[in-house]
Amino acid sequence: MAGYILKRLISAIPVLFGISIIVFIIMAMIPGDPATAILGSYATPENVEKLNRDLGLDKPMVQRYFIWLGNMLQGDFGRSFSLNRAVLDEVLDRFGATLILAGTAFVLCSILGIAAGVVSAARQYGLADKAITFAVLLGISIPSFFLGMMMILIFAVKLRWFPVSGMWPIYGARDLPALISHLTLPAFALAVVATGVIARLSRSAMLEVLRQDFIRTARAKGVHERSVIWRHALRAAMVSIIPVLGVQAGFVLSGAVYIEMVFQWPGVGRMLVGAILKRDILLVQGGVVFVAACYVLFNIAVDVAQSLLDPRIKT
Amino acid sequence: MMAFLKLLARNRLALGGLIVMGLVVLLALITPLLPLADPDVTDTPNRFKKPFSESALLGTDHLGRDLLSRLLWGTRLSLAVGFAAAIVAATLGAAIGIIAGFYGGRTDNVIMRGVDMLMAFPYILLALAIVAVLGPGLMNALIAVAAVNIPFFARNIRGITVGIAHKEFVDAARLSGMTDARIILTELLPNVIPVIVIAMSTTIGWMILETAGLSFLGLGSQPPQADLGSMLGEARSALITNPHTSVVPGAMILIIVMAINLLGDGVRDALDPRLKSGALLRPMPTTMVKRTEAAPEAKPDTLLALRGLKTQFHVKDRVYKAVGGVDLQVNPGECLGVIGESGSGKSVTALSIMGLVASPPGVITGGAVHYKGKDLVGAPYEKLRSLRGDRIAYIFQDPLATLHPLYTVGDQLIEAARAHHPIDKSAARAHAIDLLKSVRIPNPEQRVDSYPHEMSGGMRQRVGIAMALANEPEVIIADEPTTALDVTVQAQILSLLDDLRRERGLAIIFITHDFGVVAQLCERVAVMYAGQIVEEGPTKTILNAPAHPYTSRLMACVPELGHGRRELAAIPGLPPVVDKLPEGCAFAERCHKANDTCRHGNIELVRHGADNFVRCIAPETAAQEACQ
Repeated sequence: MAGYILKRLISAIPVLFGISIIVFIIMAMIPGDPATAILGSYATPENVEKLNRDLGLDKPMVQRYFIWLGNMLQGDFGRSFSLNRAVLDEVLDRFGATLILAGTAFVLCSILGIAAGVVSAARQYGLADKAITFAVLLGISIPSFFLGMMMILIFAVKLRWFPVSGMWPIYGARDLPALISHLTLPAFALAVVATGVIARLSRSAMLEVLRQDFIRTARAKGVHERSVIWRHALRAAMVSIIPVLGVQAGFVLSGAVYIEMVFQWPGVGRMLVGAILKRDILLVQGGVVFVAACYVLFNIAVDVAQSLLDPRIKT
Repeated sequence: MMAFLKLLARNRLALGGLIVMGLVVLLALITPLLPLADPDVTDTPNRFKKPFSESALLGTDHLGRDLLSRLLWGTRLSLAVGFAAAIVAATLGAAIGIIAGFYGGRTDNVIMRGVDMLMAFPYILLALAIVAVLGPGLMNALIAVAAVNIPFFARNIRGITVGIAHKEFVDAARLSGMTDARIILTELLPNVIPVIVIAMSTTIGWMILETAGLSFLGLGSQPPQADLGSMLGEARSALITNPHTSVVPGAMILIIVMAINLLGDGVRDALDPRLKSGALLRPMPTTMVKRTEAAPEAKPDTLLALRGLKTQFHVKDRVYKAVGGVDLQVNPGECLGVIGESGSGKSVTALSIMGLVASPPGVITGGAVHYKGKDLVGAPYEKLRSLRGDRIAYIFQDPLATLHPLYTVGDQLIEAARAHHPIDKSAARAHAIDLLKSVRIPNPEQRVDSYPHEMSGGMRQRVGIAMALANEPEVIIADEPTTALDVTVQAQILSLLDDLRRERGLAIIFITHDFGVVAQLCERVAVMYAGQIVEEGPTKTILNAPAHPYTSRLMACVPELGHGRRELAAIPGLPPVVDKLPEGCAFAERCHKANDTCRHGNIELVRHGADNFVRCIAPETAAQEACQ
C-alpha cells in the first residue's frame, strides 16, 4: 500500500509541473509591463526596475520559468502589494477557512448524492425516483450564489435559524457550535450542485450494475433486496462513482469562491476575488497555484481510496 | 434527423425545455423592439419600487432603474455571452480534438497531455486566473469561460475522430490523393459536427452559469452594462431589505439553465442506445407475474414440478415468447437434463423457477412452479427469498461475471449461508472453508481469502458450486456450469455434481447444449426448441433412438471420437425468432420431413412409447420401437 501511495505521489510530479507551466503561461499573458502589474500602479520606478531584475525579465522565457519555479519551491510566492504581506502567509491563513467550508460541503454532497442516486435507481420510475430526479434537475440548474442568497433570506433573515454571514460570531466564543451554526448554510449552498451531479451519476452507475450477473447471483442466494442494493450493487457502482467524487471535489473547492462571497466567508476564494479587483497579481498567482496543488494531492487520495475498494487495481 | 426530433418530442420534459428556451431566446431577440424603459436611466427617488407597481411591472432597482427592462436586456447579454463562449470553446476544442485524433502519434500525445493538465485544474480557478491577468470585463470573462471549456470539447471530439480516422472512407480519400486539410473538412467534419452540437447542448447551460458567476463576482460585465450575473451581484447589498431585486435576475438564470438542461437531457436520452434497448432498466427483485389463466393444479408427490410455464419478454409493443408452456419435474436424487440450442428458452425456464428472470422486460404469463405442492409463481417476495439459495440453489455459467468482483470468495460463501441461517462469523468462515474443501479446491484455508479475479475459471466454477451447496439445498439448477471450461475440468466438475447427487440425494436440473454431458450425468432429458419441449424421456432411449427430427439432427451435429469419417450435418437455417413464432411446429422450416400438416394448428406433446414424449406428427421412430 505504502508503495502504491509513493508511486502515485511520484506520478503527480509531472501534473504539478504542468500546472505550474499553465499558470506561468497565463501570467506571461499580462498585457503591458509585468512589474508594474505586480507592484500596482503606485509603484516607484526604482522598485519596478528592481523587480524586473529579480524576475529576470531580461532573460529568455525558459530560464525565467525556472527562476520563478525555484522561488516558489522555496516557499517564496512573492509579496502582495495590496496587503503588504508575504503571499504564502496570507494564502495559508485563508486556506484553512476554505478547507473547512469545502470539506464539509464535499462530505455532504458525497453522502447525500450517493444516497439519492441509490434510492432513485432502486425505485426507478417510482415516486421517489421522480421526486429525486426533479430535485436534482433543480439543484444542478440553480446558480449556487443565488441559492445562497435565497437561503440567507429564508433561514437567516425570516426563520433566524442561522447567522446571516461570516465564519465566527462577532462577539462570543469561537467554539464548535458557533462554527457549525455559521457553517451550515454556506456548506449546504455549496454542496447542492455537486450533490445533483453525484446523484445523477450514482443513479446511472447503479442501474448499470443492477443488470449485472453477480446481482442475479446475490438474489439467487437469497440475499435480502436491501442488501443486494446497498451492499452488492452500491459497492460495485462505487468503482465508477469515486472518480466523479474526485472531479466534484474540484468543483466544490473552486465553487467555494461564490459561496465565500455571498456568506462573507474568510477563505481563499474571497481573497482571490479581492486580489483580482485590486490587480494584485502575485496574490492571485499564489492562491491559484496553492489550491490547484492541493487538488492534485486530493486526487491522489481518491486514487488510493479506489485501490482500497477495488482489489483488481494492482497496488 | 426526423426520427430524432420525433423522439425528442416524445420526451415531454425536453419539449417543455425547448419551448421555454425558445420563448426566452425570442424575448431576447425582440427586446430592442419592445416598448421598454431605458435600462440604464437612473431615477433615485423611485428606487426599490415593489413588483407590479405602476409603470414598473417588476419594480425598480437600487438606482431606480426599471427591472423588467434591465432583466430583458440582461438576459439578452447573458445569452449572447453564453452562446458566444460555447461556440468559441466548441470551435477551438473541436479543432484541437480533430488534429489530435487525425494525426495521432506524437501530436496526439503532446496535445492530450496538455489537455489532461488543464483538466487537472479546478476549473473556476483557471477562469479566475485568466480574468486576473486580462483584467475584469465581460469580454475577458467570455474568453476565460471559453478557455476553460476547450479541454472538454477537445477530449470528446478527439475520441470520436480517432474512431473515424481509421475507417475505410478516410483511407479511400487518402489514397485518392486528397490533402489532409480537405480530408478533415470534407470527410471528418461532417461526421463530427453532430457530436459537437450535442456536446454544446449539454454544456451551454454551464457556460451561461459560469459567465453569470464571474459577473456576479464583479469580474464580468462592468456597470452600467449589466448581464444577469452582475444584476444579481449589485442586488446583493439590498438582499435583506429588497429581495425582489435579487429574485428577479436569479430566477431568470434558473429558468434559462433549467430549460437548457432539460433539453440537453432530452437530446442525450434520445441518442442513448442503452435507453432504447432497455439496458438501463432496473430488474425487480422477482419476476413480474401476469397470469391470464388459472394456475394449473399441483401434482402430488413431486419435489419440483413446472406446469405449463410461460415466460415472455415485453419490449415496447413486441412480445417475445421465450418459454411457451413448459412441463418438467424432478425428484430427490434425480438429474434432469434440459438441452437445446442457444435461444431455445432453457435458461429462461430455469430462471423462471425462482423468479429470477430480469423484469422488466420479463413477465411470467402462465403456468405454475410447484415446490412440494406449493405454487411459487406469484409467491410473495419474502417466500421466494427464503427458498432461494436455501432449498433451491443455482449454479450459473461464466463465474467471472456471476461472482461479485469486489468481495472475497469467502465473504460470498459466508453471505450465502448467513442469508438464511444466523451463524457467527468464525463458524461461518469455517463453514466456507469446508465448502471449498467439498468442491475439492486445494488450500481452502488460503483460497477463502482470494478474490474471484485471482482464481482460474475452473476454480471459480467450483466456488459457484460451493455457494450453491452452502445451505444443503434439495434442488440445484445448474445453468450450463461447464460450458466455459476445458474438458478435463468439465469432467471433474460433472463427477463432483454426480457424487453430490448420490451422497446427498440432490435433485438436479442440468441445462446444457452438450449431449455428452447429458449422457454422463442425467437419467432423463428434455429437448427444448423455440421455448417448448419437443421431446422428453430417459436419456438412454433418446440418445439411442431420438424420435423428434430436431433431436436427431441436433445429435448429428456432435462429432464423435474414434468413429471415423462420419458426416457432420449442421441444421440448415436458424431457430425462429420468438416474437414471430410460426403456426404449427416451430421446427417445420428447418425439418427435412416437414409437410403442410406440420404448419397448422397446435402440435401437442404426446406419449411416444413407454416413457417418452414427443411433439411431432411424424416421429423418426415408431412408438413400438421406442417401447423396446
